[in-house]
Amino acid sequence: MKKLITVLVVAVVLLGLLVLMGPFYIQQEGYQSVIVRFGQITRVETDAGLKLKTPFVDNVVTYPKKILMWDGEAQRIPTKENQFIWVDATARWRISDPAKFYESISSLDSAFGKLDDVIDSAVRTVISSNFLREAVRNSNDIMNSTSSETFETGDAEGSDSLRQLTQTDASYDSIEKGRRALSTDMLAMAQQLTPEYGIEIIDVIPRQIRYSDELTESVYNRMIKERNQIAQAFRSFGEGKKSEWMGKLENEQRSILSKAYEEAEIIKGSADARATKIYADAYGRDRGFFDFWRSIESYRTTMPKFTKTLSTDMSYFDYLYGPRGR
Amino acid sequence: MPERNVTPIRGLKVGTIVLIVIAVAVIALFSTSFFVVDQTEQAVVLTLGKFSGIAEPGLHFKWPFGLQRNYNVKTKVVQTEQFGFRTAQLGVQARYEDRTYPEESTMLTGDLNIVDVEWIIQYRITDPKAWLFNLQDKQKTIRDISQSVINMLVGDMTILDVMGSQRVAIEQAGQQLMNETLKGYGLGIEIITVKLQNIVPPVGVQAAFEDVNKAIQDMNRLISEGKEAYNKEIPKARGEADRIVQIAQGYAAERVNKANGDVARFSAVYEEYRKAPDVTKDRLYYEMIEAVFADEQNVELIDSELSNFIPIKNFGTQAGGDR
Repeated sequence: MKKLITVLVVAVVLLGLLVLMGPFYIQQEGYQSVIVRFGQITRVETDAGLKLKTPFVDNVVTYPKKILMWDGEAQRIPTKENQFIWVDATARWRISDPAKFYESISSLDSAFGKLDDVIDSAVRTVISSNFLREAVRNSNDIMNSTSSETFETGDAEGSDSLRQLTQTDASYDSIEKGRRALSTDMLAMAQQLTPEYGIEIIDVIPRQIRYSDELTESVYNRMIKERNQIAQAFRSFGEGKKSEWMGKLENEQRSILSKAYEEAEIIKGSADARATKIYADAYGRDRGFFDFWRSIESYRTTMPKFTKTLSTDMSYFDYLYGPRGR
Repeated sequence: MPERNVTPIRGLKVGTIVLIVIAVAVIALFSTSFFVVDQTEQAVVLTLGKFSGIAEPGLHFKWPFGLQRNYNVKTKVVQTEQFGFRTAQLGVQARYEDRTYPEESTMLTGDLNIVDVEWIIQYRITDPKAWLFNLQDKQKTIRDISQSVINMLVGDMTILDVMGSQRVAIEQAGQQLMNETLKGYGLGIEIITVKLQNIVPPVGVQAAFEDVNKAIQDMNRLISEGKEAYNKEIPKARGEADRIVQIAQGYAAERVNKANGDVARFSAVYEEYRKAPDVTKDRLYYEMIEAVFADEQNVELIDSELSNFIPIKNFGTQAGGDR
């Protein structure tokens, strides 16, 4: 009994050892391997599962079958018009021929080194042989853009003229290729070199493009100036509108008041005319009495205000000083 | 039994070891034979390294000792990537990191301006097998593609469009392009949302952009000021005009009424005067004199016979009639 158990344990351990070092190995999904016997490639296994190998003799070198990523440093590259921009590119690649890869490069690290050389130079070549706009833009859609400032003035006609004033003068050079096509160019250029390494580059994509620092500064200045000019247009439009209102104000004020004056004078004149006619009709009946009556009325109103020194020979005093009284 | 008596310790030892070995084997067997898949996940099962199926949520059996392996993948969970900013702490009031990520957010627009764009994408893993085995640096790839797509779209527009009207267009086109590209790699995910967050001009020019908004405010303020002055004066002027006309009408009425009154009185008196002209004339004369002198106090009366009178009275004294 005891012996049996011992034998069993030993057998299991041996089996385990055999399995461990022996003729099998497990290849995971997403990996591929090269079987090397005494330095010579005998087989390439590209699909997953339980694989056979000769123990102690075969050496299994495993590579990923997955798509791998390459991420380069951002490069400072002059464009065709000699403006310096930073281009940060990234690429995807895979080991398409593990045998060749083993022969020519063998380790992933040195593969990345190779890719650095190949892709960096492709990016550099393509960017520097094209204008900046080709790298930035992808289509000519921008030429149909009707972008404008958004604002409200509460007056449609004024808004229109202001819109024209603040429109960024949009004349864009048309592009021939665009960013996508440049990507394709970079890929084509990089791909030429890599098949001999057993590498297939899937794509090369500029992840970010931005101005170099000294260029950034002058672009900022340009943007600021552009904004200032637009801000100025708004302010001066406002000033103009205000003046317009002030003018309208003065115009209407004057015309309203003068109109009123005119109307008032007409009313007064016709009243005066009527009064004159009334007086003339009445007073004309007896010219002599009118003179007397009107004089008396006039004395009544004017005389009390005078300082008076009277002479005794007024007829009023006839009875006071005159012979009839004495 | 005698053996045991002779070497009790050794016998015990062998039995125990065997028991322990069996127990360990059994524990190992069971502990490596089951796996749990959470409701949020699906599990990819590999048999001897080869894909053999997908396990849905629940408890599952698998071959022990790593002969079958399971890889749980969160297929129901929506995952988010942030660009140009990071959430420092989630919560009711999320906090965001202060630092910026210009290497992600700085972009060139089609009119060769610079703009800072922040955005997020949300995605879900749709094919766990593809997700696990087709690509090496998945998260980085997703980020790179998202970045390059947004860069490209922004590069096709003017800065004003990017900041204004074309936001939604960028989001939609971005989602479509990212999905196309990632599908090309067989990544097994689907981008379900692309949302642009802050889109601002770079810090150095923000003031100038702000100033345009201020200018628009200034413009509206100036226009309002003009209207205000207009509104302040014109209704007043209209009222003033009305006043002038009203006064004139008042004058007219007064003038005519007075004339009528004067004439009526004159006519009445005249009728009586015709009946007794001399008496009436004298009476009217005396009445007038009375009225004129009624309130007078310091009137001086000078005899017409006196020839040496200085015909100016009261030098330096106040005139009497000026009350």
